[in-house]
Amino acid sequence: MSEPMISDPWVERLKDPERQEEALTELRVRLVRGLKKAFSSAGESFAEDIAQDALIRILEKIDQFEGRSQFPTWAMSIAVRLATSQTRRKHFKDVSLEQFTNGEGLKLEVAVDTVPGAAEQLEQGTIYQKLSELIDGLSDRQQTAVRALLGGMPVEEIADRTSSNRNAVYKLVHDARTKLKSGLEAAGYSADDLTGSIA
Amino acid sequence: MPLSKQQVSSLVQLVASTTPDEIDCDGCLDHVAEFAETQLAGLPIESAMAEVQNHLANCHCCQLEFETFLKALSGMDESSE
Repeated sequence: MSEPMISDPWVERLKDPERQEEALTELRVRLVRGLKKAFSSAGESFAEDIAQDALIRILEKIDQFEGRSQFPTWAMSIAVRLATSQTRRKHFKDVSLEQFTNGEGLKLEVAVDTVPGAAEQLEQGTIYQKLSELIDGLSDRQQTAVRALLGGMPVEEIADRTSSNRNAVYKLVHDARTKLKSGLEAAGYSADDLTGSIA
Repeated sequence: MPLSKQQVSSLVQLVASTTPDEIDCDGCLDHVAEFAETQLAGLPIESAMAEVQNHLANCHCCQLEFETFLKALSGMDESSE
């Protein structure tokens, strides 16, 4: 194992064979308590199991700790990601992407009857019409990912179902958003116009 | 199956807040501990941290994870009392 990039008491203890066990025990107790509070409905052993997995991941990534936060805070961020990934996987295990697309792509049909005033209603309708046209220009993968996201499916679950990863799906959706925004700007609608249309 | 009105609003909001160089989910995780401490201390969000803030605003997945993270941190702090 290489030397730590920064000097931090936690890193030093975790990399010292004679002090590692004690540090791991101390960190584990803190992780478990935090996880129990954040995932109180996940069952008694959940926090213990996640903390154990997190400690392994933390030791693997310890050289990536740059000291920009307190070490336990950084460690907890890793543990929470593991925990949320696991709970999401369990929650969405029987949910398919098709459930969100229903074979109809990302069709936009929205009533605009809640906007006060005819002018605002017309403006909103025009923006939505343009948005709908631009959505037709997105790839099937982009439309599916956007539809699933708007339906509440987490990025990592979409990634699992498309043989991708969380970052790639985020980029896919970001590219779609960029394309939609550019198209709307080219049509004369600013970001303020967009947020104004849904106010 | 058309989008609901709420989904369209969410999409429009997402499109409006899109910036060219957004960090991805792993980039957010890399800085989220620092961001949380900054926010909990009530300190101003510096430009580097603004990218995290922007990602959280655009990624519902990371936003929920961040809220859970803050809760976990509060539980961890209680342990030291």
